[in-house]
Amino acid sequence: MSAAVREHFDALRAAGRLAPGAGRIVTGEAGSREEGTQVRFQWRVAGDRILEARYLAYGCPYTLAACEWLARQLPGRTRAAPWPGAPEDWARVLDIPLERLGRLLVVEDALRAAAAAWA
Amino acid sequence: MSTHAPVIYLDYAASTPVDPRVVERMLGCLGPDGVFANPSSTHAPGREARALVEQARQSAARLFNAGAGDVYWTSGATESNNLAILGWARGSAAPGAARHVVTTRIEHKAVLDPCKRLEKEGVAVTYVEPEPDGRVDPARVVAAIRPDTLLVSVMHANNETGVINDVGAIGASCRARGVPLHVDAAQTAGRLPIDVQRLNLDFMSVSAHKMYGPKGAGLLYVHPARRPGLLPLQFGGGQERGLRSGTLPVHQIVGLGAACEIAFAEAAGEAARLTALRERLWQGLQSIEGALLNGHPTERLPGTLNVAFPGVEGESLLFALPGLAISSGSACSSDSDEPSYVLRALGRDVQTAQSSLRFSLGRFTSAAEVDAAVTAVAREVARLRAAAP
Repeated sequence: MSAAVREHFDALRAAGRLAPGAGRIVTGEAGSREEGTQVRFQWRVAGDRILEARYLAYGCPYTLAACEWLARQLPGRTRAAPWPGAPEDWARVLDIPLERLGRLLVVEDALRAAAAAWA
Repeated sequence: MSTHAPVIYLDYAASTPVDPRVVERMLGCLGPDGVFANPSSTHAPGREARALVEQARQSAARLFNAGAGDVYWTSGATESNNLAILGWARGSAAPGAARHVVTTRIEHKAVLDPCKRLEKEGVAVTYVEPEPDGRVDPARVVAAIRPDTLLVSVMHANNETGVINDVGAIGASCRARGVPLHVDAAQTAGRLPIDVQRLNLDFMSVSAHKMYGPKGAGLLYVHPARRPGLLPLQFGGGQERGLRSGTLPVHQIVGLGAACEIAFAEAAGEAARLTALRERLWQGLQSIEGALLNGHPTERLPGTLNVAFPGVEGESLLFALPGLAISSGSACSSDSDEPSYVLRALGRDVQTAQSSLRFSLGRFTSAAEVDAAVTAVAREVARLRAAAP
């Protein structure tokens, strides 16, 4: 596995739940343990911006590393483009093999669910 | 020398380091001044090599209470399993006769794949299911025997769970019915006492690299009454009395012989030490909430433990423990993220099977290493559970 995957997997700093506070919390979830991958994103949003992001994930190291990388990218992003790129781009950045793209699609589904909850 | 960062090696079920005493004996067979000649040669160096090969055969025979003439050198247990199963099924039955083999669902692939090959050749195979504790019930094996059964193949101990099967009971029943029994002893040779005569074995497979010998060496024990029906799988120089052609690797065989001598002298004491270490490991891992032991609690190899950590994905847990050399599932199949077929056969669901780790301790494992492993596993299970929905 790549150094980028190792770095993000070893420091799951954005894993966890958002505490109630200022702003609105939206949640998006996808996958299941039975399918081997389950992801939940929580965003604290205010106006048109994401203020803070957390996630919980069950899955392979690539899944966890991708969630961690994404959660660090989200604060400050807008409703028009709440997350950067697509699963293929995340795979390139983190050097994730294409045969694991299916896991990243579950991550994308969770992001989409969060965006839908924000609408 | 290895270049990786220091790790605690707890994967002795996959492979053992070569014992330094074995290395020393092997080195005596390498280099221009070593005993390197072809043991089939009739000149003095060849005769000297032949003498070492036969001395090693005596050492192996003594460890298993076999006749030296009943030990055949191979490249390892995979070849031995193939030779016993394919060679016997192809060579022992009359042409056109119905043929049937009994084995179990939890055998190593080196037994299951030859059995699948036989099915393609028209041989019927019955796969006996294990009990929930991982043991194979001898009564179920015996019940599967039919009039056309020409072989029963049951592993001595499972490579993933470490659970030991009662091959003595199976052997007695097979012998009473005149059906030969093959035992894959890759996990038990050199670790548990094995007496091929008392256990009524007809064939037994052994790998050197699971008992502190070198990779690429092994043996097949063949009961003398079964030798005529055993067809070779490779042909050439007629070595090993025509059963296994190919120049004998003297240094490998000498290594296996030395490993057998050490096991003969030390295995009993080592088993007691490893059992205590294994219990220390299990006591520590039990403190992790929800930890589940896969397989029978006591009828298991001294150094092998397989534990599930529900709620944690197995690949991530393994990745989170770079300081430990351990396995999820068997080493031979751990490239895949498919759940272990052995643990599934024991009734574990997919998630529990995938969350399982195999710890296998050995000759060079210390109590401090066991304690460090417990600490690391507890820390990472907690971290990954905290990150899970």
